Amino acid sequence: MAITLNDRLPIPHKDAEVKNITCEFCIVGCGYKAYKWPQGREGALKNNALGVDLGEQQPTYGEWCSERMYNTVTDRDGKKYNLMVIPDQDCVVNIGQNSVRGGMMGVSTFNATSATRDRLKEPMIYRGGMLMETSWEEAATLVAKVYKRVIDNDGADEISHKTFDHGGGGGGFENTWATGKLFHTAIGTNSASIHNRPAYNSEVHSSREMGIGELNSSYYDTSISDVMMVVGCNPYECQTNLFNIHMQPNLEGATIENKKKEYESGESAQKGKIIFVDPRRTASVVIAEKIAGKDNVLHLKLKPGTDITLMNALVTYIFEKGWEAKDFIKNHTENFAEMYKVNKISLKDAAKITDLKESDIVKAAEWIAKPKKSGHRPRNAIYYEKGIIWGIKNYECVASVVNLGMLTHSVGRVGTGICRAGGHQEGYTRPHYNGPSRQNLAVIDTDIIEGKYLVYSIWATNPFGQSIATERLRNAVTKRSQIVKDAINGYHGNDLDELAEIIYRATKIGGLFVVDADIYPNQATQRSHIVFPAATTMEMNLTSMSGERRLRLSEKVMDAPGSSKPDCLIAADIANALKAEYLKAGNKEMAKRFEGFEWKSEEDAFNDGFAGQGASMASQGGGTGKLANYSNLRKAGNNGVQLPIIKRDGDKLIGTRLHYSDGKFGTKSGRATFLPTPQPAMPAQVAKQQKRFKYWVNTGRINEVWQSNYHTGRLEFTAKRWPMAPLEIHPKDAKDIGVISGDIVQLSNDYGSTRAIAVVTDCVREGEVFGGFGFQNSIINDLCTDYVDPDTKIPFYKGTVADIVRVGRSEPLIKDMTFVERA
Amino acid sequence: MVEERQKNSRRGFLKLSALGIGAVAVAPSLMASGHGKSGSVFSEYPNTKIGSLSALKKSGELDFSYPSASSLCKAVFVDGEAKAFSTICTHKGCPTAYNKSAGVFECPCHFTKYDAKKDGQMIIGHATGGLPKVLLEIKGDDIYAVGMDGLIFGRINNNIG
Ligand code: SF4
Ligand code: FES
Repeated sequence: MAITLNDRLPIPHKDAEVKNITCEFCIVGCGYKAYKWPQGREGALKNNALGVDLGEQQPTYGEWCSERMYNTVTDRDGKKYNLMVIPDQDCVVNIGQNSVRGGMMGVSTFNATSATRDRLKEPMIYRGGMLMETSWEEAATLVAKVYKRVIDNDGADEISHKTFDHGGGGGGFENTWATGKLFHTAIGTNSASIHNRPAYNSEVHSSREMGIGELNSSYYDTSISDVMMVVGCNPYECQTNLFNIHMQPNLEGATIENKKKEYESGESAQKGKIIFVDPRRTASVVIAEKIAGKDNVLHLKLKPGTDITLMNALVTYIFEKGWEAKDFIKNHTENFAEMYKVNKISLKDAAKITDLKESDIVKAAEWIAKPKKSGHRPRNAIYYEKGIIWGIKNYECVASVVNLGMLTHSVGRVGTGICRAGGHQEGYTRPHYNGPSRQNLAVIDTDIIEGKYLVYSIWATNPFGQSIATERLRNAVTKRSQIVKDAINGYHGNDLDELAEIIYRATKIGGLFVVDADIYPNQATQRSHIVFPAATTMEMNLTSMSGERRLRLSEKVMDAPGSSKPDCLIAADIANALKAEYLKAGNKEMAKRFEGFEWKSEEDAFNDGFAGQGASMASQGGGTGKLANYSNLRKAGNNGVQLPIIKRDGDKLIGTRLHYSDGKFGTKSGRATFLPTPQPAMPAQVAKQQKRFKYWVNTGRINEVWQSNYHTGRLEFTAKRWPMAPLEIHPKDAKDIGVISGDIVQLSNDYGSTRAIAVVTDCVREGEVFGGFGFQNSIINDLCTDYVDPDTKIPFYKGTVADIVRVGRSEPLIKDMTFVERA
Repeated sequence: MVEERQKNSRRGFLKLSALGIGAVAVAPSLMASGHGKSGSVFSEYPNTKIGSLSALKKSGELDFSYPSASSLCKAVFVDGEAKAFSTICTHKGCPTAYNKSAGVFECPCHFTKYDAKKDGQMIIGHATGGLPKVLLEIKGDDIYAVGMDGLIFGRINNNIG
């Protein structure tokens, strides 16, 4: 049995193995050090791996391991170890600081006696009415036999998949390469979608088509900007150390010396200001005010869905004042006049549409464009994220912000940037996707509801909590999966060809063959017929890049539970099994498509993809990715290298701090292109809900909850803090509904219904509620409509409407929840 | 760049801190010698009288150190009950300030907040747990600190440092 001592930890032995870990969670990509040493051994107070005298109270900012940074782990040979995962003081990203998420990497690792005990450990097959353990060989062979039948008889596009496409835990260049190679070229299906959305698309199509890659700056440049503009993003909670380590010192004035060093001579350098565009008073707003004073913080608390109008109004006002970056626009951009003709809007009209004061719009324009005392143009670090990416119309939402950035030359200049703030880290390197243009992409999850496809492969994600109209999706897949389950239940033999044929035939009468790869059981597992257990951060070597394109190798520290494998090797198993099936059938041509998966380790997948393909693939490493290998990345440590790599100097990789400093952009002409971004009308589906229901429903992430809450919903600390999703309700609305903080409420509309815990607060606007995103036991996306931007197929997750009623209260449920105002 | 910024944030901290860095800096260990010699899984915490209940009720808060001089703690009177916590933020070790009217411990460094009424639960912020609790025993009007639940920032063992 496990004894939990929460007032002491073992002392790391001086011979502890020390590894570099990049945080597996958010885009910021903080550096951590893992210390691993055998159980039963202990270091001494004065002589230990941390190199500090642990007999003494460590000072503020000193080296420290919290209880949740520690775990005991068991490797496959049965040996037990102590493990500490603590923030790295030498990493320039986080200089020794953690957020609540990254700080819990230790306790998130697998331990058979802890909250992580239910990790998937062995492949499973649905037989006899339940999932049960099987061999890798049987699981991969059965999948291959069913896939082969589908490919041969119905075409590869009948195999739909929803696969992670990111860095960090569950992703990385190794795994996105392998799954991309499996689906895009080997299987050859175009019926693809990405972990958090129903199609295979970029969230920033417009920025890229304007010639501006979405991660074009660095955190250092943010720290030396004059003005930070944060649109639809709550960095204190969601990009924590970007805020604490880089924005906060700027707001405090602690980076003025750096500004003086980096700015032109004679240019004014003062402490930074920040503008937030958000319908909600977020924690970031309140904390920025505490840091910088109200005079240096501007919160544009606009009406949801009107960001485009606000951006257009800023563009108009700045242009009318003559504060636009004339030389830059003339020499490095195009299409200004066409954009301006459409986007021009008066302050008065904009104020009316956005619910903002004209004077506040003017103030924002002055901050970002009015020449500084010295006559120089302000340097703006502009960040945007899901508040607009998942806004009323993805394409124009993002483009409108980029227009403003271009107008003010906030790209390619020291102290500037027009970047997405990001959710997870990135790790994209894949063969080209051969699907249709962005306007014609399949919306996979809607298709599934409508009965399309024979196979649904779900890889390291839970679409049943995180897609559009999720209640409908759950119900549809439950029914369609059951048709296959019933067919399997009627077969008691064990001939895999017979079984595959039975499954295949069931898919032809409305069934859906569901294959899941993940680290924990979830709502996808419940509906699956084959389940593959995957490894995650610390259980494999993994490369990813951060929000400032910082590539690191996060090293393997421990074995994955059971026989689970890195996703890249799971993809290889499936490909190799398909190859064997085709060879057996004498079809050499098809067998050839499945070649190139002869990998022994994740390093082989890295060398094949990121470092092997160079510019011939869609890769965030670009043509110079070839210069990186595990050995030079290991040497580069937690500071890694900012992509793209420029050159290799001996073993040292030299990277890129800022993009576009040469003024050449990613369009045919090399000029950044302004785009017209008219304010769109409310989508019909949402407008219909507006007519029928009362409360506007916005959603978003909470500090303590990561992605689908897969670790954080299990860990004692965070699970107690948030037993269900909170629903922020304005006091006036709460009175109308008759709820107080802590009550359970039900929300419902035409798409579904869900429940949440009421949190009464005036941080939301009247008539608008905000629900926590990512919870698996109270799924706010059940209310989301099936609308997607017709131009990008990106949903409007942030906009739906519902009625709300109080259903009751359970004191034990909320015993450990605090309702003190967060913002 | 790192050092530069580290200095900057420390300077910021000093400016904000009510207690100053000295209060949490290195102090000779009081308890180190007891460690591991008792033959018990938990080496023993001292029983320390920290003050009077009636005075705490009146003032609403009471500062003390526990289990050793360099570990700052505070007893508070909330919801009709005496509770006590280590006041050192378990994010990066800044001393928190107690907002008596709200019953909230607030860290001036990166704004983590802890709710005294909910056993030190984190309201928002970057710690990986609530504030460590000091276990109290009330004997008549005397309040004794008798143990701790949760690891104090900057220690590998609450009884060392
Ligand atoms: S800020 Fe992001 S990357 Fe850094 S520790 Fe937190 S979750 Fe990890
Ligand atoms: S030290 Fe308290 S919030 Fe960082």
